[in-house]
Amino acid sequence: MQSFRSPLGRARGLGPSREAATGHWFSERLPALGLIPLMLWFIFCAVIPNIGASHAEFADFLTNPLNATLMILVVLLGFYHGLQGLLVIVGDYIGTVVVRNFIVFFLKLYAIFGAALASIAVLKLSIGG
Amino acid sequence: MAEFLLNKHSRIKKGKEFPAPSGAKNVRTFRIYRWDPETGENPRMDVFRLDMDDCGPMVLDALNKIKNEIDPTLTFRRSCREGICGSCAMNIDSYNTLACLKPIADIKGDVVITPLPHCEVVKDLIPDLTHIYAQYAAIEPWLKADTQPPPNGERLQSIEERARLDGLWECILCFCCTTACPSWWWRNDRYLGPAVLQQAARWVFDSRDEYTDQRLNELNDPYRLFRCHTIMNCTGTCPKNLNPGKAIADLKIAMYDRSE
Repeated sequence: MQSFRSPLGRARGLGPSREAATGHWFSERLPALGLIPLMLWFIFCAVIPNIGASHAEFADFLTNPLNATLMILVVLLGFYHGLQGLLVIVGDYIGTVVVRNFIVFFLKLYAIFGAALASIAVLKLSIGG
Repeated sequence: MAEFLLNKHSRIKKGKEFPAPSGAKNVRTFRIYRWDPETGENPRMDVFRLDMDDCGPMVLDALNKIKNEIDPTLTFRRSCREGICGSCAMNIDSYNTLACLKPIADIKGDVVITPLPHCEVVKDLIPDLTHIYAQYAAIEPWLKADTQPPPNGERLQSIEERARLDGLWECILCFCCTTACPSWWWRNDRYLGPAVLQQAARWVFDSRDEYTDQRLNELNDPYRLFRCHTIMNCTGTCPKNLNPGKAIADLKIAMYDRSE
C-alpha cells in the first residue's frame, strides 16, 4: 500500500505506550535472580536425593512445609519467568498486532493454568496425602 | 510475521568478472554487491581483481580505484575518507564498518562488500536511511531549556558534567550499529536502534538540558527503548569504538531510577 505519510510521522507512530515498560523490564530480572538459588535447591535438594524414591517417599519429602513452600515458589517463579521471556520473543517476531495480542492472551492463560495445576499438585502431595 | 527469506527479485545472482591487469603480482579479489533500480534485474555480485601494488591500503581506496579506472557505474557514498563523515558505512567482510577506516590487509581471502543490512537499497552500496534519519529527528536531538542562558556568556558545565558526554558525542551517525542490531531489523517500526538511543542518552545526560523528564517519557515504551536485548552487535561493530550498548543500559537504569 502506498503511503504519503512523512518519515517523521512514521517514526513517531502511535507514540510511547508508557504502560509499565520499565516495570516489565525489571520484572524479567528480579524473578530471574530469585530462580538461581531456587533452581540450585530444586536440583541438589529436591531432585538428586529423591532419584529412585517411591511416590510415598516423595510425598513424605513434601510434607515438610519448607520443602513444599520452596517447591511452589519454583513453580510460580518458573512459570512467571517463562511467561515474561515468551512475551519478549513474541514481541520480537510477531508484527501483526491482532495476532500478537491473541498469542499473548493464550500464553498468559497457559502460564496461569500451568502454575495453578502444578501448585495444586504440590499441595495435594504435601497436605492431602 | 518477520520475513526470513528474500523475495525472488532480491536474490543475488552471479555478476560480471573484471580480471586483474596483466603482469600484476599482488592481486586481491573484491566481490561487490550491485543493483540498479533502472534495469529491473536482480542484484548481482561483481568480481573485481585489483593489483594491490597500485592501490591504496583501505577498502575505500579500492572502491575509488574501481570507480575511476574500471567501472564508473559503481555507486557508493563517500566524502571525508578519514572516518569523520560516516558516509562510506557498508558491510565489509561480514562486519558493518567504514570503508575508509578498514585496511584491506586486515581481511583474509576475498573482500566481500554489501550495503548496510536490512535497509532498502537505493543503488549498489547505497542504503535508504530515510527512516533512521526520521527516528533521529523524533528524539529531538538539540538542547532544550526554558531558562535563558546568562546574558554575558554561555551555559556553564562542570568538568565532570562535560565528561559525562564523552563516548556519546563522538558518534558520527554512520548507523553501522543500528543496521547490525537484530532487534532493529525485526521491530524498527517502533524500536529506535542503538545509534538513535545513544544520541537520546547524549541529551538525557546533558546537564544543560531541562527536558530530561519528557525525553524519558518519550522512551518509556516496551519497543522504543526496551526492545534492546543487550545483543551488543552495536558495540562490537562501531567503527569509532563507542559503546551504544552501555548508553542504552544507562538509559534503562535512569528509567528504573525514576520508576519507584
